[in-house]
Amino acid sequence: MSAVKQKGTNPLFWLILALTLVVILFPVYWIVATSLKTPLEVIQPNPTLFPRIFTLENYQTVLQSGFLKNMGNSLIVAVSATLLSLTLSFLAAYALLRFRFPLAFNSIFLVWILVVKILPPVVLAIPLYTMFNSLGLINRLLGLVLVYQVYTLPYCIWMIFGFLKAVPITFEEAALIDGAGRGYILFHIVMPLARTGIIATSIFSIIAAWDEFLFALLFIRTPSLQTLPLVIVNYIGEYETMWGQLMGIGLLTTLPVLLFSSFVYKYYTKGFSMSLK
Amino acid sequence: MSPGKYLRKNSFYFIILAPAVILMAWLTLYPVIEVIGLSFYRYNFITGAKTFVGLGNFIQLLQERLFQEAFRNTLIFSVTATAAEVTLGIILALIFEGQFAGKKTFMTIAIFPMMISTMVICAVWKTLYHYDIGLLNYILKTAGSEPVGWLISQKNALFSVVLVDIWQWTPFAFLMTQAAMSSIPYETYEAASIDGARYHQSVFRITLPIISSQILLVIMLRTIDTFKLFGKVYALTQGGPGNATETLSYYIYREGFSYFNLGRASTASLLTLVVVAGISLVYIRRILKGDA
Repeated sequence: MSAVKQKGTNPLFWLILALTLVVILFPVYWIVATSLKTPLEVIQPNPTLFPRIFTLENYQTVLQSGFLKNMGNSLIVAVSATLLSLTLSFLAAYALLRFRFPLAFNSIFLVWILVVKILPPVVLAIPLYTMFNSLGLINRLLGLVLVYQVYTLPYCIWMIFGFLKAVPITFEEAALIDGAGRGYILFHIVMPLARTGIIATSIFSIIAAWDEFLFALLFIRTPSLQTLPLVIVNYIGEYETMWGQLMGIGLLTTLPVLLFSSFVYKYYTKGFSMSLK
Repeated sequence: MSPGKYLRKNSFYFIILAPAVILMAWLTLYPVIEVIGLSFYRYNFITGAKTFVGLGNFIQLLQERLFQEAFRNTLIFSVTATAAEVTLGIILALIFEGQFAGKKTFMTIAIFPMMISTMVICAVWKTLYHYDIGLLNYILKTAGSEPVGWLISQKNALFSVVLVDIWQWTPFAFLMTQAAMSSIPYETYEAASIDGARYHQSVFRITLPIISSQILLVIMLRTIDTFKLFGKVYALTQGGPGNATETLSYYIYREGFSYFNLGRASTASLLTLVVVAGISLVYIRRILKGDA
């Protein structure tokens, strides 16, 4: 195609590329720049493109406000929810793939969790709140870990189901003939073969839990137990123009996730085409 | 084989599937049944008054102006955001098709928006949108135009929230379309260009038809996701100004967790569920077909 060959030399192409990059990166740059400005500079009616005075005072204030505790909460919840989902979904996906359950349960279960993935989570919020409340799980990180299974479990089952499908059954059969137990086969043969898929799934699951807002809002009351999205929303609401600190929090929240970026790019389309095509 | 023997022989599979099934039943099946039950009651959590009203809640909600507006806003948001994201995504994928210097870096940067936490995105857009000291209005004023009430005018607020969603999720449509395009063999284009096909002909007659099923998948995924809209509204506008950005999710949240009308909130949940199920029917059927 002629348009493809011309790409390297066509100035219009590079112009569009530059423009796209500006649109994508400007808000990210704005987070960084604003977080380095003084509180006074932020509320000037003429916003400055570069901070006139560079200051780290926003980060200082944020770190002293117990932000690390909140980051720890987010980390604990995201990692625990993901570990729980991964374990359950690896077992479930394997069973669904290798065994035909009676009453077409394999298909019923897969459609069921697909419907859960599609549902707006707020639809389940009222009964879930009542249930968790009567079990004393409201305002506890454990409650969040459990309720996040509504998001992460269906997602992990579908993804891992897709990845396991690509694992050839011959290794398992050979091991079975050699007299290996089923548990051994599952954890020493199937799991290593599906390793990359499991890693990819876990990263997406961690990001989803890291980003979750609705149930965190409904279930957590104590400030010291809040996860990062809650901290940010409270900042937006309460300190309308403490933007320097807000952007500082934003950057610290974003950096750990952006580190995964090239990895995510590699697996994103793969995961989707496997589980959703 | 007797049922007992069958179970014993295959107990391994039943045991490893059970935890996931039990957890899902507890977290989703039971709540849905509960929501269906509650939707026939007028039930206030604070006063504890609970009376059976039959279809009363349904009739009331369908006639209520706020609920209708929430429904309309959700629909507008979902349709415009999805349409814009998919269109832009396809255009970008066509432009950035093939190889060029720095492509891998470009693609890695291109997915930044969908990786940044939604609340961080809302925070930065809230500063950009600010009426008095936001950058967008400063640019407008410098260019000699009137400042725009991005989030504070009834006319613009929903559109401004759509814009944030477009910024965040166009990369997704772009990435998916791009991946679909790269799987088309180059020979297909070569054959077409030997036959004298022009660029726009090869786009509309070859590329887009071949990847149409992937595009449909992206459209459905974005429709489903935009229909859930809650966090952005909570952070950016709280449903206002007036009811300009009231969405179904936000309506349910307020009815249930601010007014504690659990009956009405459940009815609204059920109505939302029915609509979402209708939208996703096509999607589910397609996935099952691919799975079978």
